Amino acid sequence: MKWQPFLGAPLAALSVSAYATQYFTVEQAQARMFPGAKLAHVPLQLDDAIRGQLHDASGIHEPFNEDGVWKVDGGGWFIVDKVVGKHEMITYAVSLTASGAVKDVEILDYRETYGYEVRKPEWRAQFTGKTAADPVKLGQDIRNISGATLSSKHITQGVKRVLALYLLVLSKQ
Amino acid sequence: MIARCRPLLGTYVEIRARDSTLDCAAVAIEHAFAAVEQVQGLMSFHARDSELSRLNRAAHRRARRVHPWLHRVLRLAARLHRESAGLFDPAIAPRLVEAGLLPRPAGAPRPAPGATMMDVELLEGSRVRFRKPLWLDLGGIAKGFAVDAAVAMLRANGVRAGAVNAGGDLRVFGEEAQLVHLRDPAQPARVRPLGALRCGACATSGGYFTDGARWATIDPRGGARPRTGSISVIAHRCAVADALTKVVALAPASLSRALLRLYRAEALPA
Repeated sequence: MKWQPFLGAPLAALSVSAYATQYFTVEQAQARMFPGAKLAHVPLQLDDAIRGQLHDASGIHEPFNEDGVWKVDGGGWFIVDKVVGKHEMITYAVSLTASGAVKDVEILDYRETYGYEVRKPEWRAQFTGKTAADPVKLGQDIRNISGATLSSKHITQGVKRVLALYLLVLSKQ
Repeated sequence: MIARCRPLLGTYVEIRARDSTLDCAAVAIEHAFAAVEQVQGLMSFHARDSELSRLNRAAHRRARRVHPWLHRVLRLAARLHRESAGLFDPAIAPRLVEAGLLPRPAGAPRPAPGATMMDVELLEGSRVRFRKPLWLDLGGIAKGFAVDAAVAMLRANGVRAGAVNAGGDLRVFGEEAQLVHLRDPAQPARVRPLGALRCGACATSGGYFTDGARWATIDPRGGARPRTGSISVIAHRCAVADALTKVVALAPASLSRALLRLYRAEALPA
């Protein structure tokens, strides 16, 4: 283990930076969840009664992504939806078996917008010089964010909504 | 470098791996996620069928054999309980249930008043027995252990550099140092660079991002909850970093310093 802390220099400026990672495209997620299978896009048009029931089942206010449903040749469903949290926006995919059980959940992309605290330039230069052997680029590489645990309850709600959608709509198709 | 993220352990678990071929990295990441799922299945307080829940229901009646990973986490917890003069105590679960931070475990007997980790016997053959009825919660250490297990799985599958981050408890490995950022405890939509870490773990405890800004660290001695803000700990292993954040939040400075030295760890108050 080797740890080199940034010492407590006063804040000089604040810039805004977005932390965003794309893990999968929709096509990549389909290929991982249903390798080799043929998927047919099933555009939905949900009426108000169904929307109301989806909301009651999940507690989610944002409308469901009606353009994010695929039927798998040979049985099963692939669904892409989004959740919006206080600070984060997350696109995720759920795969269902032919009988409507959850197979997998994958995050496709994760986005948070941050203000990024940038410290005094002379202090940054000092840091850069010291770690010539361990090159680290400040400000470009927000990957390893520590902090008190971020809850994934929005995804849990999202999966509940997908299961409700299956019962109300997909199982009847 | 490829990255994957799944909702596990009640949070988002992100795994990054660099390998000579992307296929190898993808396979290694699948194994690493499987390890995290296994830890969740063994050590969840919420899941009725976890090995931990079975212990909470029945280990006061007779010794029960558990998975070696659970035994290992309990041994580390018992050690930290002794070294922290009782401040780190997974037997605090009844108080967390009382405070509404954990659900009441179905079918578990009422815990004996004053039961602590000292009442847990860790026996040969990966067996566990409770001297009296008690409820253990590994929320303060199991997430870190899951991160360590995932890193071990990546390495066992030939990955030379990578990172595992379970919703803020993270570990990095590989030749190059990686930048670690801290979510600002006062404004969670802001981050700041904390430092550069090579082959090590960082865990943070804080009151933000919990429902109603409640801090889920409770002093077993019955005092008030600790100060607000967040505390980060850097250590070799994420299980140790995870557990030490709770100790540092509660312990007097001299005890914190001694424990940090013992584990060659560092604390970074926000």
